[in-house]
Amino acid sequence: MEFIRQYYFDFGLMGDELEPVLKGFWFTLQLSILAGITSLTWGLVLAVLRQLPGRALAPVRWLTIAYIDAFRGIPLLLILLLVSGGLSALSSPVGGEVIPRWLGVPTWLGQTSPFWYGIFGLTITYGAYMAEVYRAGIDAVPSGQMEAARSVGMSHGQAMRFVIVPQAVRKVIPPLLNDFIALMKDTSLVSVLGAADVVFVGRAIQSETFNGSGLMLGAILFLIATIPLARVVDVLLAREHGKYERGGAAARRPIAGAGVHGAG
Amino acid sequence: MHKRFGALHVLKGVSMEVGRGEVVCVIGPSGSGKSTLLRCINLLEPPDEGRILVEGKDITVTAHAHGEAEDLDYVRRRVGLVFQQFNLFPLKTALENVSMGPEKVLGRDSEQARGEAEALLARVGLSDKINEYPERLSGGQQQRVAIARALAMDPYIMLFDEVTSALDPELIKEVLDVMRELASEGMTMIVVTHEIGFARDVASRVVFMDEGVVVEEGPPSEVLGNPREERTKSFLGLVLEH
Repeated sequence: MEFIRQYYFDFGLMGDELEPVLKGFWFTLQLSILAGITSLTWGLVLAVLRQLPGRALAPVRWLTIAYIDAFRGIPLLLILLLVSGGLSALSSPVGGEVIPRWLGVPTWLGQTSPFWYGIFGLTITYGAYMAEVYRAGIDAVPSGQMEAARSVGMSHGQAMRFVIVPQAVRKVIPPLLNDFIALMKDTSLVSVLGAADVVFVGRAIQSETFNGSGLMLGAILFLIATIPLARVVDVLLAREHGKYERGGAAARRPIAGAGVHGAG
Repeated sequence: MHKRFGALHVLKGVSMEVGRGEVVCVIGPSGSGKSTLLRCINLLEPPDEGRILVEGKDITVTAHAHGEAEDLDYVRRRVGLVFQQFNLFPLKTALENVSMGPEKVLGRDSEQARGEAEALLARVGLSDKINEYPERLSGGQQQRVAIARALAMDPYIMLFDEVTSALDPELIKEVLDVMRELASEGMTMIVVTHEIGFARDVASRVVFMDEGVVVEEGPPSEVLGNPREERTKSFLGLVLEH
């Protein structure tokens, strides 16, 4: 019993290693937030491409669906390895320098290249997941909204931009937050690329001291970030549910309602 | 004009001409193709066969060629459509619902568009509701905003698709009054309706449709007062009984 406590909860060790672990977690947070923003954006682009109208644009729809199917079906770890390996190899003399060095081994904004490989891999994969969430939101907007927008002369693009997407996004904020929580946890996979994230730091401590407390400290930090997010999702869903109980018309109101009525 | 949805042949050769300033009321049992007719005129559903001419200009050509084209948006701008279910934009105020088309589609200056929207809302009797969101408005008020929204695009013609069918009885009059006023101001209108009284008072012509064809048409006094066709008689009998 004492061994278990010692292995996982060596508070002395946690105190000593607090700074490097926090530094690793700071890396994790930066990666999560930036990859979260790029995934949300890329996912919306994919969802809109998937909904383009008309026969002429059918190939675009098929390509988008193929992309989404493919990247939802491949493990993120594989994507990360393929992205990092590919980019660095193709920009090296061995790979024929097919792509420029600044893209193959990116070190923008003072971040290391594994950070950027992480951003690419997470965006490619989570963009596909989030596209599906957005699609559900777009499908949930009554078809009369598109018809009304078209009947005042808006193009499909204008109708999406000014009428459909704003309503769709409000409907899917809780599931998008859920995906963000999953993304945050999956940033831990970039440690295999040598990124100095919280897992990487924890493993370094583990191999040095044969003690898991550094990793456990990382786990605790994750919980401190993710549990409040999960509660926010619950509150938003409960609020939405309450509206459905009060009546159909109110259910159309935005989920994260505060401030919206004052806006615009 | 013909329209099919898969195997379902909804419009089986409907031909119609509407003169400027005319108010044509289309009546008929549900499933007779009345709403489809309106949606075809506005090209929300491009017809499979036939042509639509607005002010002498064939607007159906592009529909056949591409399915979607820039011209269609241009046509929809000048053909106002008011829906049974209002379809107001829920995240926009009454004023924004009306000013949005002119602003986004016609590129009108925001100040100017809002000023015009305010005037239109006043015209439908909603001056005190301009900053309300649709969910705070009654069905009748929402429908009046929807009429103002269509008018904001300065349409050649207004199409009304059973606009009072989703309303509580006490709210129907306020919407019909707005429509009466529009008619008296010389607006060209095609009104699909179950309000026989409205058709009798306002229509310059009544069209009775059943099973995708025009069964009978003429002045209200004839079609409603003294119908020739059996089907028209039995329909009016059913409608006027209660």
